[in-house]
Amino acid sequence: MSKILVHVATAEGKIKRSSLEVLSYCRKLADDNSLGLEVAVLDIDPARYADTLNNYGPDKIYTIKHPIFNNHLSSPVIDALSALVDKSAPRLVAFASTESTKEVMGALAARHSAAAIPDVASFTINGKTVETERPVMAAKVLSKTSSSSDLVFVSVRSGSYDVAEKPGSAAVEEVAFDFDEGGLKSILKEVISSAGDKVDLSEAEVVVAAGRGIKDEEGRKLIEDLADTLGAAVGASRAVTESGLFPATLQIGQTGKVVSPQLYFAIGISGAIQHVAGMANSKVIVAINKDPDAPIFQYATYGLVGDLFKILPLLTEQIKQVKAD
Amino acid sequence: MEDKFDCIVIGGGIAGLSAALTLAKNNMKFLLIERGEFSGAKNVSGGVLWGEGLSKLVPNYWEEEDAGFERFINHRRLSFMDGDSSFSIDFKSSSFDEKPYKGVIVLRAKFDNWLAEKVQEAIEASKYPDESFMAPNILVEEVLMDNGKAVGIRAGEEKFYADSVIISEGVNNLLTRQVGLQDDYVPADALAVGVKEIIKFDQEVLEDRFQLSINSGMSNEFIGTATQGVEGGGFLYTNKDSISFGLVLGMISLRDSGMKPYDILNEFKAHPVIADTLRGGEVVEYSAHAVSTGDMKVMPKEIYGDGLLVAGEAANLLMNSGKAIQGMDYAMHSGVLAAETIVEARDSGDFSKNTMKAYRDKLEKSFVLQDMKNFQGAVEFLHSKEMFQSVPGLVCDFGKQFFSIKNEPTPKTREMLSKSVKKHSSYWQLLKLGIKGARSL
Amino acid sequence: MKLSVCIKQVPDVSAPISIKDGTLSQDSDRMVLDAYSASAVEEALVLTEKHGGEVQVVLVGPEKAKETIRKALAMGAASGVHIQVDDISGLDSSAFAEILAAWHKKSEYDAILTGKQSQDTDAGLTGGMLAWSLELPFAANAVGLEFENGSFIVKRQGDSGQEMVELKAPCLITCSNDMNDPRIPSLKGIMQSKRKPVETVTPADLGVDIASLSSDSKTERTGFKEVPGREPGKKFEGEAEEMVSNLMNLLENEAKVL
Ligand SMILES: Cc1cc2nc3c(=O)[nH]c(=O)nc-3n(C[C@H](O)[C@H](O)[C@H](O)COP(=O)(O)OP(=O)(O)OC[C@H]3O[C@@H](n4cnc5c(N)ncnc54)[C@H](O)[C@@H]3O)c2cc1C
Ligand SMILES: Cc1cc2nc3c(=O)[nH]c(=O)nc-3n(C[C@H](O)[C@H](O)[C@H](O)COP(=O)(O)OP(=O)(O)OC[C@H]3O[C@@H](n4cnc5c(N)ncnc54)[C@H](O)[C@@H]3O)c2cc1C
Ligand SMILES: Nc1ncnc2c1ncn2[C@@H]1O[C@H](COP(=O)(O)O)[C@@H](O)[C@H]1O
Repeated sequence: MSKILVHVATAEGKIKRSSLEVLSYCRKLADDNSLGLEVAVLDIDPARYADTLNNYGPDKIYTIKHPIFNNHLSSPVIDALSALVDKSAPRLVAFASTESTKEVMGALAARHSAAAIPDVASFTINGKTVETERPVMAAKVLSKTSSSSDLVFVSVRSGSYDVAEKPGSAAVEEVAFDFDEGGLKSILKEVISSAGDKVDLSEAEVVVAAGRGIKDEEGRKLIEDLADTLGAAVGASRAVTESGLFPATLQIGQTGKVVSPQLYFAIGISGAIQHVAGMANSKVIVAINKDPDAPIFQYATYGLVGDLFKILPLLTEQIKQVKAD
Repeated sequence: MEDKFDCIVIGGGIAGLSAALTLAKNNMKFLLIERGEFSGAKNVSGGVLWGEGLSKLVPNYWEEEDAGFERFINHRRLSFMDGDSSFSIDFKSSSFDEKPYKGVIVLRAKFDNWLAEKVQEAIEASKYPDESFMAPNILVEEVLMDNGKAVGIRAGEEKFYADSVIISEGVNNLLTRQVGLQDDYVPADALAVGVKEIIKFDQEVLEDRFQLSINSGMSNEFIGTATQGVEGGGFLYTNKDSISFGLVLGMISLRDSGMKPYDILNEFKAHPVIADTLRGGEVVEYSAHAVSTGDMKVMPKEIYGDGLLVAGEAANLLMNSGKAIQGMDYAMHSGVLAAETIVEARDSGDFSKNTMKAYRDKLEKSFVLQDMKNFQGAVEFLHSKEMFQSVPGLVCDFGKQFFSIKNEPTPKTREMLSKSVKKHSSYWQLLKLGIKGARSL
Repeated sequence: MKLSVCIKQVPDVSAPISIKDGTLSQDSDRMVLDAYSASAVEEALVLTEKHGGEVQVVLVGPEKAKETIRKALAMGAASGVHIQVDDISGLDSSAFAEILAAWHKKSEYDAILTGKQSQDTDAGLTGGMLAWSLELPFAANAVGLEFENGSFIVKRQGDSGQEMVELKAPCLITCSNDMNDPRIPSLKGIMQSKRKPVETVTPADLGVDIASLSSDSKTERTGFKEVPGREPGKKFEGEAEEMVSNLMNLLENEAKVL
């Protein structure tokens, strides 16, 4: 039987929500097309995810265990995934579209002479063909891209599908992996993470995003207060990460992260198309901007025209009260 | 040191590009500098390019697949408006469909960019394919003068030299003042603010609504409540699958009214007649730009100097006679004449004032200055309060009476007219206006 | 140091765009240098200014794309390679990577720089595919780049935090536009660009058969679609207190997200 292989991304002992979204959808897709569903996990200790994964009903779980995966280097990941692709022999490999996926997908597809369709908003199987829709031209339109190759790689934008459990009890097969670290032509020297990196932005249910309108430290404080009160992750526009007020990891948009929270606050953000590309999938969007004609209001579920320095303290205060009740 | 240029053209708008194209065709070594990211990036027009000038500059341009035009005018309409009505003079003629077309509707971002490509092609076909340049994204800060003669330009730290300089910087006359041809900013009473939206439609809907065939287009000017009592008028031009829609508002009158141009535009869009016309359209772009009112009193003291010519709106060459704004055609023609004058100067080896004066003479003989002189009266006439306040009210009031059928004894048309006149004006005023109008047109 | 930068010409994505019968139509058919490629050029120039050497740009595209090569030369690149393909409509990242690989197999470089993605397709595949074909170590999404003792030190933006990765030359790096602000060519740069060498080659010169490359393409674009619009929202103006209590009410009772 032909199969779908889902790569599951992990971070600090947790499976990423975006991977669970892909896995949930692929279970359904596999059922609809009478395909097998297999999972690939690369980790220093992959066995710890087996129970969680079995909530989503894969037919098989392949793991590769290796300390090198702590190293954020692409070449071991490519080698390991490549081995699993050979082992599983799927017709479709699905990823969550994370920064690490983006790094490996081209090389991996080239290595397997496979088709690669990155960053899709939706995909499906129609007979021999994988059909996808993906945003292009700064996310102004969707391109319908399909492939009838024997092997197709897709990566899926976060928030494209819902997480849905379907309990099962698949066996775990640990695949041996020899990696010659001496032969590495790239070396990880250092990981620089900043305070803002604690809450994973692309997984967050609530995001408070800051734009140039926050101006300075004072504005930054207001953003952090609101985020803390809400238990939200902080995001930022490029104008703000460039200014150094928030770290680059928090950038949302075409170049940055794609987020799809339940609730998104765009504060002092004009709503440039490149920013909107990363957040338009949010369920509820609240925009606060003093310019009534700011494009962000075209996307906002609720728009407040006014000075963020006046509005934010009031808002944070009221949310505090609600949370306290 | 880089070699000296025959000419440096400042500003890649219509005037500058037309000059550059003419220079390239005449194998001149030149540099054109445009401050925008590309030609047309920031330029705003309604935009109908009137007359046949373009077909002389780029023969048979309409045969090109991706030429910069949107549609060709074969339908014109002038509407008088009051609060709830509009009374239009409407003229459509297939005789306008003959080539070369005489009214080309353009979107500047696209048109200027296309014209710039034509200049590039002409440079490549000229004797100086590698020595003539178009440089976008660079702001000219100064015209370098030596003993009263223009000798080059400065942009940031960089200086470049030439035998001649054409200033075609548009309505902001910074450099024209710097070289001393203009004493001051163009005064506010000779300036207007143009605001414009591009409103997108499904192409079929657009063609049905405005009765357009493949390439034909319509222009509609508006006088009256369009401007909420502010001096000026409105315009609507049909593009390929959008319309350009906006207002030109007198700067002083606008200031006195305390209103914002954008709000006036929104009021105008809410007018019942307009709202019907715009139904289903989506605003995709908004822009604002200053535009001269075409008052000759504020023309630069002189439009030439040693090694120096001023073309287009920088020289205040523009006419707004009510039936149309003519700025692009004047810019185009003056750009061509300026370049031709420079070519003659190169041939004679004399770039002094004496040779440059030929530019002024050519302009005087051409439609540009002829029309501006002959129609100054019309320009003033249009700016009289009556024209944008009582006359449109009067015309619409008459229309309401004339066209409504009430199943009661109908007064004679003459009586209707006199009633409307009494309501909005007096016979005496109207007579004055009539005489003034007749004289000026 | 010799750096080879792959640059792409893309439509100006900021121009209004619409879909007609499944194909894209833009108000302006202006083509520009891809912003990510531009950052790659800028970074390469900074590096050679510091360490000596020169920058070559390589572009696969139609005749008209020469103007984009000129733009990179005006920024300061020393020479250009134009792999001329007049109809690129059937080519995807994998095809471009194959053509670029064929060129680079015959050429010398210490590093290849590409954009991390391109503005029109946002694919982000070309760099990785090219690195694979040329068997080069690579790092993607660079936001900083240094050169020390024959190695490139890449600061790359990862999912959480930034990673410093050392790559031995020759290698490939894909650049984020967050890396720098590409310089605007000076007048002098624009003038000199016309005198810089641009070598034009055809895929056939490189032993690549374009016809089969596009007919064997693994992906196919079957059309375009509007992005589904969002429901129109509610907008409030006025006193901050009132707006905030309105918002709280809606978040709690209408959207139910608090
Ligand atoms: C290739 C490319 C990729 C890009 N990728 C990204 C990306 O991934 N993410 C991204 O965000 N951008 C990206 N950009 C940049 C993007 O185009 C915009 O420049 C950027 O998003 C603007 O950020 P901003 O909205 O914070 O700033 P601005 O556009 O300057 O907006 C600031 C807003 O704050 C409002 N404001 C100011 N003061 C106050 C106040 N006191 N109260 C309330 N409101 C106030 C203003 O009215 C204004 O609307 C990219 C650009 C390019 C070319
Ligand atoms: C709303 C509106 C509607 C209009 N409708 C019409 C119409 O329907 N028909 C018509 O014929 N005319 C119309 N006009 C008038 C017309 O747009 C102008 O008269 C015409 O553009 C003048 O052309 P120009 O080349 O002189 O100046 P511009 O087109 O303004 O070009 C000047 C160029 O110089 C550049 N520049 C300026 N300073 C510098 C510098 N220091 N260094 C480098 N570059 C510089 C500018 O960026 C610009 O590209 C309209 C104007 C407005 C505002
Ligand atoms: N036709 C091309 N010519 C040269 N470089 C290209 C071409 N296509 C893509 N690239 C490079 O690959 C990067 C990523 O492209 P893409 O895979 O299309 O997102 C671009 O930013 C360029 O650096």
